[in-house]
Amino acid sequence: MIFQLIAKVFRVSKALFIKSPATQDVRTHVMHQAERYRGEHRIDYETCIGCDACDKICPTHAITMKHLPFKKQNIVPEVNLSVCIFCGLCEDVCPTKPEKSIILSGGRYDMLSGGWHEDQNQFWVHVDIPQSYIDSRLEEEEAARVKKELAAKKKAAQGEKE
Amino acid sequence: MEGDEILMQNIKNILSSYETEYIEDYKTVWIKTKLLKSGDLLEVAKALKENGLRTISTVSATDFLEENKIEMNYFFEDLLTKRNCWLKCDIPREIELCVIDSITPLFVGASWHEREVFSMFGVKFTNHPDLRPIIVSQDFYGKTPFRKDFDWDAHEADIVTNMNTIVDSFANEELENDKKLDPHGSEMILNWGPTHPASGPIRLKVHCDGEEVLGIDPDIGFVWRALEHLVTKKDFIGAIVAVERLCFMDNINSMVGYCQAVEEIAGVEITEFAKYMRVVLGEVARLSSHMMGMAGVYNALGLHTVMMWNMDMREFFLDFLESYSGARIATAAIEPGGVRYSLEPKMLEELQKALDKFDATKEDIRSIFVKNPTMKLRGAKIGIISADEVLDYALCGVVARASGVKTDIRIDEPYGAYANITMDYITQESGSAQDRMIQIFAEMEQSVDIIKQAKKHIEAKVASAEFDLTKDHMVKVPKKLPKGEAISRVEWARGEVLMHLVTAEKATSPYRLKLKAPSFNHTMMLNHLLEGKTLSDIPLIFGSLYICQGDLDR
Repeated sequence: MIFQLIAKVFRVSKALFIKSPATQDVRTHVMHQAERYRGEHRIDYETCIGCDACDKICPTHAITMKHLPFKKQNIVPEVNLSVCIFCGLCEDVCPTKPEKSIILSGGRYDMLSGGWHEDQNQFWVHVDIPQSYIDSRLEEEEAARVKKELAAKKKAAQGEKE
Repeated sequence: MEGDEILMQNIKNILSSYETEYIEDYKTVWIKTKLLKSGDLLEVAKALKENGLRTISTVSATDFLEENKIEMNYFFEDLLTKRNCWLKCDIPREIELCVIDSITPLFVGASWHEREVFSMFGVKFTNHPDLRPIIVSQDFYGKTPFRKDFDWDAHEADIVTNMNTIVDSFANEELENDKKLDPHGSEMILNWGPTHPASGPIRLKVHCDGEEVLGIDPDIGFVWRALEHLVTKKDFIGAIVAVERLCFMDNINSMVGYCQAVEEIAGVEITEFAKYMRVVLGEVARLSSHMMGMAGVYNALGLHTVMMWNMDMREFFLDFLESYSGARIATAAIEPGGVRYSLEPKMLEELQKALDKFDATKEDIRSIFVKNPTMKLRGAKIGIISADEVLDYALCGVVARASGVKTDIRIDEPYGAYANITMDYITQESGSAQDRMIQIFAEMEQSVDIIKQAKKHIEAKVASAEFDLTKDHMVKVPKKLPKGEAISRVEWARGEVLMHLVTAEKATSPYRLKLKAPSFNHTMMLNHLLEGKTLSDIPLIFGSLYICQGDLDR
């Protein structure tokens, strides 16, 4: 009886000697970092083909498509993180290969820690496209258009000859 | 003929004496039938009850707008001999004409389910003893939100008026209570919840005389998200995020139930690996739910240590879920066609770490808390549910088994890989609040045992290269499903979840999904259990019923 009691006390008191992992500050040191952790989205505007699949599947309508001044591939997703439930379906349906254009797995875990957020806008994944990229894409499109026109003219001229 | 077949034949004989469209076998333990006359319902129900099918799992209505009818579905079950009957009948859709006999006088357990159909579809049940709206807030009274022609946008637009309706009705209720009860007497109506630390978002209107409870009227629906309606707005894959929100504590098994129904309609057979993964993930989710449920009850008793220990163990299991799916709580890890992600061997190591943690902690919990003297003193003699009450009120899961009823869907109607797993019914005898806690702990050990079996199987098959971890997890399910309907039952952490899925022709989203969740039945018991008890028993009895508002309100 007494032995059992001592054994019990001993077993419970071992907790005193375990160094508790709870002394880590979770805002700076993550306790468990999973590779697939579904955190903040990363959107690649260069590979995105603007198919709208992520917008369509999003169960909470957290995704809005931003319009770009191009003729093709002219929309790119932006995510409202206050509405997003991080289900990852957008990543699943994204058809681009080999890298998906919208990825949340492996994303940031510390989105909400680190001080106050004054503005709702800080909970958005915006796509900032540099002007140089827009210009080069517009130039490419213009060049393609000119090329196509020339080809059409050439074809028409050939047709007349024959 | 075997015993089971004779029993099934008995049901068919009963049904064949009425006018039916068809009587057919469905799966292994169901008989599906459709009555031609809705007027026969009460007689059929009575005959079925006399034949042993004394439990009604749920009552579900489906609104067919184009055919101008409402189809009623009754799911009768016999928890003892595992024979079930799925009974259907049509009633007219016009709001004045959609009337049907109530079966509540025969089956007490149908009471709230009929009230739910009444509030959502406007079906009136004659001779129902207490036909008041349930779940919906006052602004939905008299409206029929789940009918296909209900205008949600118009309702949403009028939000200010709706808000006032709710506020006014609370004020009126208070006034009426003032009139009804003697201001100088000791009787009063006490609100237990919705912000009581042990309650969760539920409001119990406790009619009490001093300490003594005279009666309880639960007011539910504080977290009503209309999940059954939400899934009809999503495609078959997107619906998982709505279904998993039945309750976050055990989100995997609810998705398993839904996916099984979709796969049945699509005619898809999932891989063996996916079946085993569903078992592993499901049991991990069950464990995490049980740990939290047990912790909550002991918390209400003031024993906070068990919560700390349980939460500590739970973190290890959530680590596994996070590594596998990328989220700790809302995993969205089960999709129609299998499981969503591939498995990596190192994840199994992480699972092993969690199992080791459980094995290292369980003796501490058992010796200090399972037969805890405080629990014994307060919990051993209250909240006693007899086996008869389990059958009448259609209680299930932990609560039913703690009262000695051998019911467990994993054994009764094995799904997925459960058919290959060795397990047995675990039961307790008296059905008291304490027994339910002992039962939860015993089931935690059972779950760990199941995980070990499934894990061993997966590891063996991986070693012999029969499972390909990178691509075996998924088979393709067509985006468009044919017209059909299916029911699927799973043993959820809290008991039986029955899902009735209906799809239309070339459907891209569910036409109707009925979620029968256990807490609804368990909350129905509260008045019966607490009458004559004292106020201090409420947190303990309420907690020991293992109720979660997520699946109570849906």
